[in-house]
This record gives sequence, structure tokens and C-alpha cells, in this order.
Amino acid sequence: MGPLSRRDFLATAAAGAAASTLPLTGAAAATPKRGGTLTASWGGFEPQALFVPPGGGSSPYFTSTKVLERLLKLTNDLKFEPVLATEVTPAQDFRSYKIKLRENASWHDGEPFTADDVVFSALEYWKPISGGISLNALTAVEAVDPHTVVLGFNAPVPEFFLRSVLAGRSTLVIPKHIYAGKNILTHPVNNAPIGTGPFKVKEWVRGSHVEYLRNEKYWDAPLPYVDRLVIRWWRDPASRSAAFEAGQLDIATFNPIPAPDIPRLTETKKFVADTRGFSNSAWVTTVEFNMRRDVTKNRAVRQALLHAIDRQFIADTVFFGRARPSIGAIHFSNSMFFSKDVPDYPFDPKQAAKLLDAAGYPVKGGSRFTVSLVSAGWFEENVKIGQYLKQALEDVDVTVNLTIPDRATSLKRIYTDYDFDIAVSNNAGTIELLPTTTVFYTTDGIVKGAAFRNATGFSDARVDDLVAKIAVETDDKKRVALVHAFNQLVTTEAPILPIVDLEPVTIARADVRNHSITADFMGESWADVWLDR
Amino acid sequence: MVRIVARRLAQIVPLVLGVIVINFILIHLAPGSLFDVMTAEQQITSPEMLEKLRHLYGVDQPAWVQLVDYIWSVLTLDLGFSYRQNAPVLDVILQQMPATLILMLAAIAIALIVGVTAGVIAAVRVNTIWDNLISLGAVFFFAAPSFWLGIMMTVLFAVKLGWLPVGGMREIGVDENALQATFDILRHLALPATALGLFYAATYARVMRASMLEVVRLDFVRTARAKGLSRTRVVIAHVLRNALLPVVTLLGLQLGTVLGGSVVIEAVFSWPGIGSLLFDSVMSRNYPVVLGVLVLGSLVVAVANASVDLLYMRLDPRVRLR
Repeated sequence: MGPLSRRDFLATAAAGAAASTLPLTGAAAATPKRGGTLTASWGGFEPQALFVPPGGGSSPYFTSTKVLERLLKLTNDLKFEPVLATEVTPAQDFRSYKIKLRENASWHDGEPFTADDVVFSALEYWKPISGGISLNALTAVEAVDPHTVVLGFNAPVPEFFLRSVLAGRSTLVIPKHIYAGKNILTHPVNNAPIGTGPFKVKEWVRGSHVEYLRNEKYWDAPLPYVDRLVIRWWRDPASRSAAFEAGQLDIATFNPIPAPDIPRLTETKKFVADTRGFSNSAWVTTVEFNMRRDVTKNRAVRQALLHAIDRQFIADTVFFGRARPSIGAIHFSNSMFFSKDVPDYPFDPKQAAKLLDAAGYPVKGGSRFTVSLVSAGWFEENVKIGQYLKQALEDVDVTVNLTIPDRATSLKRIYTDYDFDIAVSNNAGTIELLPTTTVFYTTDGIVKGAAFRNATGFSDARVDDLVAKIAVETDDKKRVALVHAFNQLVTTEAPILPIVDLEPVTIARADVRNHSITADFMGESWADVWLDR
Repeated sequence: MVRIVARRLAQIVPLVLGVIVINFILIHLAPGSLFDVMTAEQQITSPEMLEKLRHLYGVDQPAWVQLVDYIWSVLTLDLGFSYRQNAPVLDVILQQMPATLILMLAAIAIALIVGVTAGVIAAVRVNTIWDNLISLGAVFFFAAPSFWLGIMMTVLFAVKLGWLPVGGMREIGVDENALQATFDILRHLALPATALGLFYAATYARVMRASMLEVVRLDFVRTARAKGLSRTRVVIAHVLRNALLPVVTLLGLQLGTVLGGSVVIEAVFSWPGIGSLLFDSVMSRNYPVVLGVLVLGSLVVAVANASVDLLYMRLDPRVRLR
């Protein structure tokens, strides 16, 4: 871990988390005010459509979740709070769940929200389109009465898992009366979604902004607090900084401005930087080893190469301190499953060289072997990390052919053609590890052409077995123990491991209150955000 | 004249077909595809869903079938459907085209006015402090990266002085009448059009200066002076008019790029134009949109070139004789 011990790291992490909450504790406790226009942005680009049913990445997730809602939401302290569901109760055998729905909710076009909408969403949208393998076990969905639904499964389903799914990205509830009989993927309403949420779409000007108006008939009155929400897009981070300073931007999430600008803005006391609200969408930068290649399928080689990487340097230099060296396969912000009791790969080039010698790769003619390193060019940081890794591996006499392709080419080389020895990529994990984290290690995660899952070709019956047990273990303590065993095993095998855990930040004007309070703030409705003006 | 216009219009058909075929091939030769990008964004993991989407997007067809289908739909005035934007390509382009046209035409207007004026002054006051200052300014604005110039102007005029908005094209959420809306757009246009226009103006100024200095040495200028015409009249009526031809050529080339917009300026000023759309579409291999923009762009180029040819004839009657 370099100069920072694990104990220091955890203490720092805890202090950081506490510090980030301090300026807002009082604010959250103040009496909310109604009215005003909240202008928001984020650190990425405009969405391709306001609602992309299968997912579509962070941008449409940001825009759709102000209109469409889920059944539950997850707070920063890991409590599930009701949204469209008021109760979620498992059967004794955990093979079915009864869900009581909110009775006073309605769609923006005035139609009532009922159990039929949830049944339709589950059967026609979540299971075949958005849910992926997380809903593999779902076999039946039945409306018991207009406001009660029962989900049936072919195996026991852990309560935290199901609640996470119901509070997750893939289970927005869509209106049956709009989508029934139509193609959900291409329905024109996806560009002006109709939901039950606190905001209604007024106008989307492509390339500029989307404007939402307060839903006057929102079920959770007096929410939402603001009258108008505007999400604007600036492609250039420096322009977002200027917009903050000119008073034309109130809040922006997910690293919206250049890192060096953050202290400059926050020192004025007019702005706050908040690192909360990302634990259920925790980004990491990974190093992936192709198990189809002779050199990298050797575990000792993988472990040796991990010793050659100075993760603290990457965190400090590439991310300006807005990242932390990863420990194991689980993001440090995951307070349920993170553990420091996993094999460690501290930066130690001598140890790396020693392990490579022992693995049968001594230096011959100035090099031990040659690897093809593909660093996915979708983030600017990956470009720098690729260049750093080339130097770091060459310091232990490994010849590196580095390529940094653009996004489309990176996706094809890493996830379709498996054309790499070592890849630098990224993924965002949820607190529930199944399947967002486990899919990188399990055999069923190997699907040619499916991005952001097992591209390494790693297949280990012990891992598959552990994940299968995690999927059906309904005792929370036993489940944590199983996850711990999984974490230890995959960190030892190291087919793919995070090298740094990203620590995204939300920037807001000091008079924007009650933000960043959920585990995935960007994807919440923002109904409870208010302006102290 | 009618024959020339008709001939120009007839040239558009093979031009557009060529644009489609060449760009279709180029996009398909590039590694990665729209399908890869979209399924990655959508986190599609099931093989069945992958196959369903492959069919929906039409990428399960051979490339030549896709090309023939596309050419046929263009001939029937249909630019196709963008699954990425979940909208017809023409709708997507038309929604962002007005902003691009406003920005680019305003920038070119600023460039023409500033560049031609500066070029004339530099030529008339050649080898004076004015000439040196204008040359220095031209080099500076030509060399300064647009994003840097844009940010600097934003910091000064939007952040420090608060005179102009940071970005966007309109005030959001405000009901305006036509006059207010026009003024509002002009306020938002001022910084991006100036940042872009000054870059173009630098080129116009250098070309105009060189052209003026070349023309001023010609016999007919000496004759005009010998006839006793005032200096101003000689410069405006004789030198300027004849020196404008290279500038008109340059103008024609730039008008051809109008539809492409400016990715950098749009990014800095959050201007909702086509530049960003085209950039994103290339990066995501969204060939229906890329081809749509290029087809419309090639039409603009063809029309701009034909217009420039006609303008040549108006400025210099000898062109018609040739």
C-alpha cells in the first residue's frame, strides 16, 4: 500500500466521510423552503434519449429518474426507504415477496398508478430488458389486489438483494397504459417520459438542456420543493466552473469541474464539495488480465505485475487525490461488504521482479516478455494510467505495447474480440455485489460482446460455487462471510482487480440543501432538494 | 446563367452518392460499431437480447445490404432512424441545425467585417504601427486555441463583469416575445460568435492585406490615381473590389463547413449545435446520424460553391468570359 497503511487508510476514509457530511448536517435539519429553479448538471455529456429502457449509462439515468420512480430507495446509511412501495415482505422461505404499493400515486397524465403497472414493468420491462441476470430467478409476478403485488422466485432470494434490485437502476416503474402492446425500446415517449415522479418533462432542447416542472399532484406533497428543475449540459469542465462562478449553475454531480478548481471554489465558502451519494454507484479503475494468453494466465505473473503498480501514485497524480488505492475487489465505500482482510499487493518492484523470476520469466535480452496493454480511452484518466503502467511494467523489464483506442474500439477489443493481454477499464459497482461485481469473476459472466463483465475469461468452480451460495443465502451474517471468502479468493487469483477506487464529488452552491443524502444521489428524484434563498 | 445553375444542381446527385458510399465504407472500416457502443451503454448481458437488438438495429444484415437500403431511403428523402437517439435522423439534425446556422453565420459575419476591415487598414497603412498591430493581432487570434479564447472571454465577460451569460442559447424557463427572444439569443451569441469569428477574422485579415497589396500595384490603380480620384474612392471602388476575390473564395470554403459547426466552441459555450452531435455520432459509430449530417453538409457545400461561382461573375465580369 505504499506509505499509507491500511489502518491509516481506513481512518482517513472514515474521517473524510465524516468531514464531508459536516457542513450539511445543520442544513438538512433546517426547515425546507418551497420554490425556485434548481439548475443542475453532471460531469458527463447529454443523454442520447431522456429515458433509455435498457439502461443507457449515467446520463439518461440522471434525466429519467426525475420522472420515473422505483419501489424503494437506499439511503447513505443503508436503509431502504419506501418510494412507490410502502412495504416489502418476504415469505418464510424467501421464495416470494409481497409488495404493498402506494395508493395515492398517479401518472403525470392523470391515470392512477396500480399493481398492473408493476406487474407489466416486471414481466415486460425488468426481466427481459433491464434486469439482466439479477432477475433470473423471477418466475411469477401477480397482482393480488390493485395495490398489492407478489413476486415469485424459483429459489430463495436474500432480502437485501431483492430490496437492492427494487431500489436499483434497472427497476424503474413504467406506465402500462402507455407502453402495453408497443416496443418499449423505441417508444417515442422515451424522449419525454411520463412517470409518477416529482417532476414532469416540459421541454428537451437537444444539445442544451432539459426543463422539468414541479408535479403539483405528487404523492409525497409538499415535495418536490423546487418549482423548476433544469438539467444543462456543458461538455467542458472548465465551463462548468465558470457557470458556477457566474451563478448560472447550482449543483453538479459526478466530478463536474476540474479537480484543481474544487478547493478554489470551496474556499470561497459559496460552494461545497460533497463525496457522499456515490456508494451505490461506486466507480473503480481496473486492471484485467487475459486468461487466454500464456503469460497472463499464470497467477504468479498477475500477482507480480500488481506489485509493480504504484496505486498511491495513480490516486495522487492522475486523480489529484480524488481516488484511493483499492483493497481487494470491493470498493471502500461499501460499508456492508468491504473488508481489509484480503491479500495485498503493495508497490514493490523488487518483489515483482523476484516473483517473475520464480515464475519462469527471467530477463533475457533486456526483457522478460512482451504484453499488449489496452487502456480504454473513454476516460482521460485511463490515458494517463496506460502511460504510467507502460513505464511501471517496463521498470520490471516487461516490454509493453500500449494502445489507447477510442470508446467504440476499446469496447470491441476488450469485450468482443478479447484482443489484449492486459486491459485498463472501469466499472461501477453497487453495494449489493450480485451481479455488478461478481459478474467479472463468474463463468456465466463470459458473454462475447457483452461489455463490462467477465472479459478476462477467468473461470473457477470455487468462485462460481461461492457466488451461487451468495445468491441464495438469506442469513445476512452468513452472506457477509460468503462474500468475504469470495473477496479473498478473487483477490488471490487476481484475474481482474480494481487498482484505484474513485471518489467522485458533487459540487453545489452553499444554499442548495438536502442533497447527496442517498446512496446513489444522481439517480434519485431530487424531490427533497431545496434552495435556501 | 440558367445552364450554369442547372449544371451545378446536376452535379449534386453524384456528389451526395459519393459522400454516402465513401463515408459508409469509412465508418464500417473503423473498429467498433454502434451496436458495440449501444449494448455497452445499455449493459445488455443476455445473448437473446443481444440478438434481438442486432436484428432491430439492422446490423445482422450484410454491409452492402445496409448500404443499398440507406441509399434507397435517401432517394426517398428519408435519412433513416437513429436508435441511439430514438428518433428519426432528420428530426435530430433539424432540431440542432438552427443553432449551428446562427452561430456559424454570425461568426462568419464577424470575421468578414473585422477581417476585411483590418486587412484593408493594414494594407492602406502598410509598414506602420497599424499594420504591425493588425498583423500581431491576426497571428494571435489565429494561433490562440479556440477553447482557451472562449474560456478567457467567459471569465472576463460572464464571470468577472457579469455582462453576458456563460453558455446556452436562450434564457431557460422565461416567456419572451419575439423581440425579447431575439435580444436574448444575441446576448447568448455574443461570446461564442466572437470567439469563433476572431479565429476566422485573422485569416481574412491576412488574405485581404496580401490581396490589397497585390492589387494596389496594378496599372489600373495607378491610372485611377492619375485621373485624380480621391484615395478613399480608389481604395474602395477599385482596389477593394478587385482584392475581394480571394476572400470570396475563402468565404465559399467556410460556408461549406457551416453545417459541421464547431465542436470546440459548442463545448465551451454549451451551444446546442450540430458539431457536438456529429462528434458524438462519430465516436459512437452512429452512422445514420453521421451520414445524415454529411449528406446535408454536401448539399450545403454544393450550393455554397455554386453561389460563390455566381458571386465571382458579379465581382469580376471577366470570369464569365472564361
